[in-house]
Amino acid sequence: MLVQFYNVSKIYPNGVKALDDISLKIDRGEFIFLMGPSGAGKSSFVKLLFREELPSRGQIFMNSRSIIRMKRSEVPKMRRNIGVVFQDFKLLENKTVAENVAFAMEVVGAPYRNIQKRVPQVIKQVGLEGYENTFPGQLSGGEQQRVGIARALTNEPLMLIADEPTGNLDLNTSLEIMELLYDINRKGTTVIMATHAQQLVKSAHKRVIMLDKGKIVSDSQIQFGEQQI
Amino acid sequence: MNMRSLKYFFSEASKSLYRNRLLTLVTIANVAICILILGAAVLMTVNANNIIDNLESDVEIVAFIDKEMSDKDTDLLREKIEKIDGVKAVVFISKEEGLKDLQEKLGGKEYDLNSTLEENPLRNSFEIEAVDPHKVPDIAKKIEILNGVYKVNYGKGVVEKLFQVTKWVRIVGIVTIVLLAFGAIFLISTTIRLAIFSRRKEVYLMKLIGASDWFVRMPFFLEGVFLGLTGAIIAVFFLALGYGSLTGQAHKILFLPLVTDIGFLINIYLILLGAGVLLGIFATYFSLSKFLDV
Repeated sequence: MLVQFYNVSKIYPNGVKALDDISLKIDRGEFIFLMGPSGAGKSSFVKLLFREELPSRGQIFMNSRSIIRMKRSEVPKMRRNIGVVFQDFKLLENKTVAENVAFAMEVVGAPYRNIQKRVPQVIKQVGLEGYENTFPGQLSGGEQQRVGIARALTNEPLMLIADEPTGNLDLNTSLEIMELLYDINRKGTTVIMATHAQQLVKSAHKRVIMLDKGKIVSDSQIQFGEQQI
Repeated sequence: MNMRSLKYFFSEASKSLYRNRLLTLVTIANVAICILILGAAVLMTVNANNIIDNLESDVEIVAFIDKEMSDKDTDLLREKIEKIDGVKAVVFISKEEGLKDLQEKLGGKEYDLNSTLEENPLRNSFEIEAVDPHKVPDIAKKIEILNGVYKVNYGKGVVEKLFQVTKWVRIVGIVTIVLLAFGAIFLISTTIRLAIFSRRKEVYLMKLIGASDWFVRMPFFLEGVFLGLTGAIIAVFFLALGYGSLTGQAHKILFLPLVTDIGFLINIYLILLGAGVLLGIFATYFSLSKFLDV
């Protein structure tokens, strides 16, 4: 079991209840769509996953360890198991493609030799060979998101969290990005993707968790009786 | 910490300083001015203390002895005074010596005091030096009540005023220094805050990717230390230059006993450089703790 949520609620200081008594489990190697209208709690859910926020109530376990009781100094180590992909890519404009990817390894103190070896591998995996020395500003949206995914993959995370990764992209480019994410999932990485895009989800035949007003309104795994919480 | 991380910290710090170069220059100039004034205040305080110490060590008690006192009783009185707490030295001045001193002070030979006065009007006296000049009034009171003491002089009133003045000079000096230090901390932390703000995306990413706290903080600390130290170096350069020429002039024109001990001055300059570094570290620490809590 990779992730477990037990009766998790998130209430912000301004009184907004973003998540209301959420319980669920995520297995290693799963591909999960997180759906729901704006304000349903998708972003809060994602933020709890990489501990940018802490829940107001309930428990969250990552690899059987409580991320709430975790010491501050242990948080960086926990996060190294998670890759995050953003809707707006969050690339560093003053760094080249290769430097953006290497950045993720540099900041966790990876040895130079490993960086030299690993960066070309991930750039190849996301299909950006030949763009190593290009700056993000010179790339299309789809290409920029590939850089974002490459950066999230460099440290070989157990789990990839993608928050509306296709939100800024057209349909064809979105489908290409989806193929890339499926490929990553096939190689064993758990993928959790928050999205609005119905057409991407329908054709995928993957587990879909629907959120509305902070509650899980449906979880396809449960519906089909494949998994019990 | 490996060499690559170290290189990364330095390159990030220098890039950030260069990217905000106008702000960097303004901050360094501000820190330099702050430390310059701080240094000037320190030198002023040091010199004021030096002058005060000189003045204080001049504070002396003179006890005049009854005219009819025998030599034996005089010796006994001297022993009694020496036994008083805080008395450093007691010197006997005979009335003949006293008259000679007076004659010299009045300019010598124009007229002979001995022949003019016929009889020496002065008394034998003791000059008493105190260990701590601040205790002089207390000691004087104790001597006054001893048998055989005719009168005690210690510049009553003047001494108390002098101590009052020196106390205030010290307080004002310390308050000025503290205020200026706060000013410098505020300036540096503003610069660091802006540096963090312009790199907030990077900082956020670093935190999410799993960089440790110290890894995220290190480039900013380097930046803060650089700003503090560079400002301090400039300030110390001008301070040393200015003070050097001032002491040169002072010997010629003024009669002020300025501190010129080179070892002592180097210590002050090193302390100011250290203060620059500390200001940088403090300021960075204050601005970071709030911003890096992701």
